[in-house]
Amino acid sequence: MRIELDRPRCEGHGLCEEAAPQLMHLDDDGELVIDVPEVDGPDLDAARSAVRVCPVAALRLAAA
Amino acid sequence: MTMRRIVVVGNGIAGLTACDSLRSAGFDGELTIVGAERHHPYSRPALSKALLHSVDGTSVNGKGDDALQAHVLPAPTHEAEELLGVSATGLDVEARRVLLDGGGGLPYDGLVIASGSRAKRLADGQGAAGPHQDDSPREFTLRTIEDAILLRERLASRPSVIVIGGGPLGMEVASGCLHVGCEVTLVSDAKPLSRQLGGHLASLFTAAAVRRGLRVVGGGKARLAGHGAGARVVLADGTELEADLVVTAVGDEPNIGWLAGSNLLTEGSLRVDSRGRLRPEIVAAGDVAFFPTRRGVQRVPLWTSAIDQAKVAAAGLLQGDAAPEFNFQPYFWTEGFGLSLKSVGFTPVEGAPDYCEPGREDGSVLLRWDNPDGYGTAAAVNYRIPIPKLRRLADAGPAALRPVSPARV
Repeated sequence: MRIELDRPRCEGHGLCEEAAPQLMHLDDDGELVIDVPEVDGPDLDAARSAVRVCPVAALRLAAA
Repeated sequence: MTMRRIVVVGNGIAGLTACDSLRSAGFDGELTIVGAERHHPYSRPALSKALLHSVDGTSVNGKGDDALQAHVLPAPTHEAEELLGVSATGLDVEARRVLLDGGGGLPYDGLVIASGSRAKRLADGQGAAGPHQDDSPREFTLRTIEDAILLRERLASRPSVIVIGGGPLGMEVASGCLHVGCEVTLVSDAKPLSRQLGGHLASLFTAAAVRRGLRVVGGGKARLAGHGAGARVVLADGTELEADLVVTAVGDEPNIGWLAGSNLLTEGSLRVDSRGRLRPEIVAAGDVAFFPTRRGVQRVPLWTSAIDQAKVAAAGLLQGDAAPEFNFQPYFWTEGFGLSLKSVGFTPVEGAPDYCEPGREDGSVLLRWDNPDGYGTAAAVNYRIPIPKLRRLADAGPAALRPVSPARV
């Protein structure tokens, strides 16, 4: 699966980083960076948690 | 016992997260979710923020039509059978059966109660003098997507508005109404937001609100009265206010009517253990549930807490005592009057902050309080900061913000 970011929607809460720090982080300007866009196996659960916790639904998981 | 059938009552973010978590934990049995609302789950925090602050589809920060979609969440992937627009009306704990609106019932081996809460209404407390009189004004509340759409429609003609309630929701509604060009009066006993956030943060928001034209009125308990096509509000001290529209934001109450007679309630509330359990086969999460926290047993009707609670409850249902306990780590945000606040740690916070770092932009500031219980609370006002970093500031103090010096690496 592929993590997709809808950047204009992102408000920089960073809850996704908390859910999946191994996959994404907010940089010093508070912009979200997806470090590992293609996920499978054990990372998939973390990716799902990150997508779910976003209160503005800026993240999505799409078929790779 | 083996769980073959799990029923989740409530299809908000807690119910949705519970379903996801059950599936992630390997539950592949029959999963049914019962939702009183006719929609898939949506983001409730967005209703009083982006959605209400947009005019003709364009929001404050120029997000265009996105503002109208800000509440839309990705479609569920848990493959539960969804009964939408259906309410649970009762629960037979002994027979392990949820009773449904319109008759019929759902048997379960495991039950997740996530039925949420609803807006309190002032009119409900006014008895016969209130809601049933023909001349009583329409009382708007903001809890569901239908409420939000209706309110947006009414705001299009720029009515004068009285907002009753000075909590975060009342303030966000007042901000939204001002933003679209209405004349707005906020009725609040205490300084707005002071009960939730403490005096310092409340002052920042109230000052910004007044600068933008909000009229704030005290005067005690409010009562609704009729006034032709508009509305009149009478306060305890005799003050009378008139406007075209009244919106109340006077709190929420848990949806537990369907649990009357179930013996699950303790003094009228649904109190779970640290793993979300009421019984080994029944858990609860979200706005409906009282969880034990460091500051006592309380309801925590916040977005991220609902998600955390639902994860804990799902694990508690499947794993019992082996499941992790709930560890409430408060995260709260609100926006309005040109301010955006994110806070980590318990609020309200007393007094002035112990640490204060201005940001690059005007009015942008990072704050921290040392609480009497030894834990910290950190708040970012118009300051873009990742939440993990804000959490480190709350937990460890300002030193956590500095990069580790190269000599020590």
